[in-house]
Amino acid sequence: MPAHKRVLVIDNGSYECRVGWHDSKEPELRFRNVLTKPRKDRKKDNNQATDALALPAGTTAAQEECKGNGEIQVGNDIINIEAVRAHLKSPFERNVITNWNHQEQIFDYIFTKMGYEGKESIANPIVLTEALANPNICRRQMSELLFECYRVPAVSYGIDALYSWQQHQQQHKGVQDALILSFGYSTTHVIPVLNGRMQLEHVRRLNVGGFHIINYLFRLMQMKYPVHLNAITSRMEKLVHEHSHIALDYQEELLKWAQLDYYEAHIMKIQLPYNPVTASNALLTAEQKQEKRRELALRLLDIKNRREREKLQEDEEQLQLLRKLRLLYEQQKMQKFERALQQQQISNLEELDKLLTTVQSRIKRVKERASAPPRPSKQQDKLDKMPKPPEGVPQAQWLAELRGKREELMRRKQARQQQRTEQGKRHTHAAQERMRIISTLAARSEKRRKVNNGDEEDDGFGMNDNDWDVYKRINRYNDDSDSDAENEQLLEFEKILNHYDANGDDAQNAAMQALNAAENYQLHFGVEAIRVPEILFQPSMIGCSEAGLAELIAFVLKLFPAEEQQRLADHVYLTGSCAQFRGLKARLAKEMMELRPFKSSFAIYESQDPALSAWLGACLQARVPNFSEVLTTRSQYEEQGGEYFKEHRASNSYYPTPKD
Amino acid sequence: MTEATTSSSAKVKRTFKQTFAFPKNCVYRPLRQIQNMERNQKLPPEQPTYFTLNAPPSLRPAKKYSDISGLPAPYVDPHSKLRYANAEEYASMQHMPSDIINGYLTVRGYTSAVG
Repeated sequence: MPAHKRVLVIDNGSYECRVGWHDSKEPELRFRNVLTKPRKDRKKDNNQATDALALPAGTTAAQEECKGNGEIQVGNDIINIEAVRAHLKSPFERNVITNWNHQEQIFDYIFTKMGYEGKESIANPIVLTEALANPNICRRQMSELLFECYRVPAVSYGIDALYSWQQHQQQHKGVQDALILSFGYSTTHVIPVLNGRMQLEHVRRLNVGGFHIINYLFRLMQMKYPVHLNAITSRMEKLVHEHSHIALDYQEELLKWAQLDYYEAHIMKIQLPYNPVTASNALLTAEQKQEKRRELALRLLDIKNRREREKLQEDEEQLQLLRKLRLLYEQQKMQKFERALQQQQISNLEELDKLLTTVQSRIKRVKERASAPPRPSKQQDKLDKMPKPPEGVPQAQWLAELRGKREELMRRKQARQQQRTEQGKRHTHAAQERMRIISTLAARSEKRRKVNNGDEEDDGFGMNDNDWDVYKRINRYNDDSDSDAENEQLLEFEKILNHYDANGDDAQNAAMQALNAAENYQLHFGVEAIRVPEILFQPSMIGCSEAGLAELIAFVLKLFPAEEQQRLADHVYLTGSCAQFRGLKARLAKEMMELRPFKSSFAIYESQDPALSAWLGACLQARVPNFSEVLTTRSQYEEQGGEYFKEHRASNSYYPTPKD
Repeated sequence: MTEATTSSSAKVKRTFKQTFAFPKNCVYRPLRQIQNMERNQKLPPEQPTYFTLNAPPSLRPAKKYSDISGLPAPYVDPHSKLRYANAEEYASMQHMPSDIINGYLTVRGYTSAVG
C-alpha cells in the first residue's frame, strides 16, 4: 500500500457524519446522517402522464422530472428538513448500522460529494468509525459493501471515542490511563483505558443519549402545548443545544423552581409567531356587522315609507273619484251614474257608500300614523327588556357574577362531555366506574329478590329525586337532555354579557385580546432546561431501568483494584457532542467527589472540540508513518473473510465467529 | 423486503459502483435479530460482545417527580396514576384529556396492569 495516498476519513456517527481528507484541518463534508425519500405527488404524476400522452416529444423530459421527484435526498441535500422530519430515515439502530440500503445511499452521497463521480472506483483507503464492540455481522456487511460495491483498496475501522482520546493525548503526552466518557446521540459509553489499551470487558454502555434528550423535551412540550404541536417540532433541538444545562444539584434546583418568584424571575418565554390581525378580526367584523345591520334597517324603513306614501296617494285619488260618483247620484244624473258604476265595477249605491267609508278611514289611519311621534324601535324595545343590574349593585360586579356563573355552567357541561367520551373508551377510569355502578345496581336487586323470596321490598330507592341520577351517570348516550334548563340559562347569560360587553369599551377589549393572543402563543421553558438532560443521570425518568451515569461510573470503577481505580480517576476524559452541555463537568466533579474515597484525587478533562475530536484523531492516525500496517486490504478481505480487520490502538478487538 | 426491491430498481447508476446487492434477508436486520444470532454462535462466555456491555440495572431507588412539572412529587392520583407536586397541578389534571394523561404515563414508561 503506497503510504503517500490520501486517506478518506469518515466519522460515521449516528447523529452527524463527518468526512474529509486525512491531511486537512477540518472535515470537508458534515451532514446529518439521515436520508428521506419524498413521497411522489400523485396528482403531479398524473398530470405529467397526461401531458406526456399529449406531447410525445416531451415524454422523456416529463419522465425524468417524475424520477427527480421521487429521488432520495441525503444529508445536506434535504431541501426542507422540517417538512420531512417524520419521514427521516437513518441507517442506524442505536449506534449500530442495521439498514444497509440506507447506508449505501449515504456512501453514494459521500463519494459523490467527495468528487468520485466519473471515476471507476474509490481509489483511496478509508478510515471509518464503528460502534464499540460492533457485532461481527455488521462489520462483515460493511466490508462487503466497501470492498465489493465500491472497490475500496483498504479500510481501517476504529472507535470514535478512542480516536478522540488519541487526539486528546497530543496535549497530554505520556498519559496512558484514562476513563473515557463518550456522550453520543444514541448511547453513552464509559470506557476504561489502562496502559493505552481499552479494557473491553469492563466497558459499559448506557443506552441513553442526545436523541433521548431531544425526544423527551419534544414529548413534554407536546403534552404541555398540544395546540402548538407544529410550531414545537422544529424548535426542540435548538432549545436542547442552546438553553439546556445540567444541574449541579438537581433536587436543590427543583426546589428553587418550585418557588413562584424564582419561577417568575428565571422562566424563559418563547414567543411563537402569530398573526395579530386574526386575533382582533372577530371583533372588527362584529362591529362592521352591526353597522351593516343598521344601514339595512334604514333602507327598509325608507322603502316602507315610500310605499305607504304611494298607497296614500292612490287612496286619495280613489276617494276623489268615489266622491264624484256620489255627487253624480246626488245630482240625480242616474244614467251617467249607472255607466260610471259599471266602469268602476261597483254593483250599487250601497257598495259605493261602503267603499267610500273604508277608503276614508284608511286615509285617516295612515295620516294619523304619520303625524304620531315615531314609535320606539324594536332594538330599543329589546334594550328595555334587557335585564338590569339589581338595585344597589354596581354593574361591573353584577356582570362579574354573571360571568362566574356562566363559567361554572360551561365547566359542568364540559365535564359531562368529557365523562361521556371517556365512558366511550374501554380501560378508562370512567368506563370502569360505570361498569362498577351497573354491577352494584344489578347485585343489589338480585340480593333483594333472594332475601325476600322474589318479593321486591321497597328500600326507599327512588323516593329521593337524586336517586335517579345514578341512571343518568351510567347512560352512555346521555344527550344532555337533563340540562336543557342549564342550556337556556347559559344562553341568557351569554346574551346579557354580550350586550354589556359590546357596549363596553371596545378598544380596551381589543387590546386585551391581542395581548392574550400573544400570551397564548408563548412557550414556557423553565424546569425543562435542567429536567431534560438530567435523564443521563436518572434514566428512570424516561422509564429506562439502566443505571444512571454516576452510578455507572461507580460500577465500572469497582471492577478494578483500588490502585487502578485511582489511575483511571486521575484522568477522566469527556468527549462526544453531548459533552457540550453546560454544567456537565461540574456535575461530574460533584458525583466523582461523592463516589471516590475521602480525600482521594481525581481530575476531569474536557475535549477541546467534543464534536470533531474523533475525526481529528482518526486523521492523526492516518498520518503516522506505519499507518499502512493497520489497514485491512482487499486481498486480506478476500482471504480472511468479511469479519476480519487489523487491530490497532483505537479499534475493537478481533474475535472470529466460531464455526459450527 | 419490498423496500429493498423498490430502492434497487430506483438506484441511480454511479460510475464508482460495481453491481452489488446484499442478499434480501441481510439488507435490514434489527438489533434484536442480531442479538439472537450472536446468542446462537456459541462464543466463549468470557468474550465481551455488544450485548454484554449494556449498563447494569440501577440499584438506587428511582426518584419520583411530577409528570407535569418535573418537581419532586409526593402524591399520586389513584385514578390517572399521574404523579403531582401540589394542588394546582392536581386541579389542572382534572381537565386533562385522557390521551395527554396516557402520553405522560408512557413517557415515564408506566404501563398499567389493565393496559
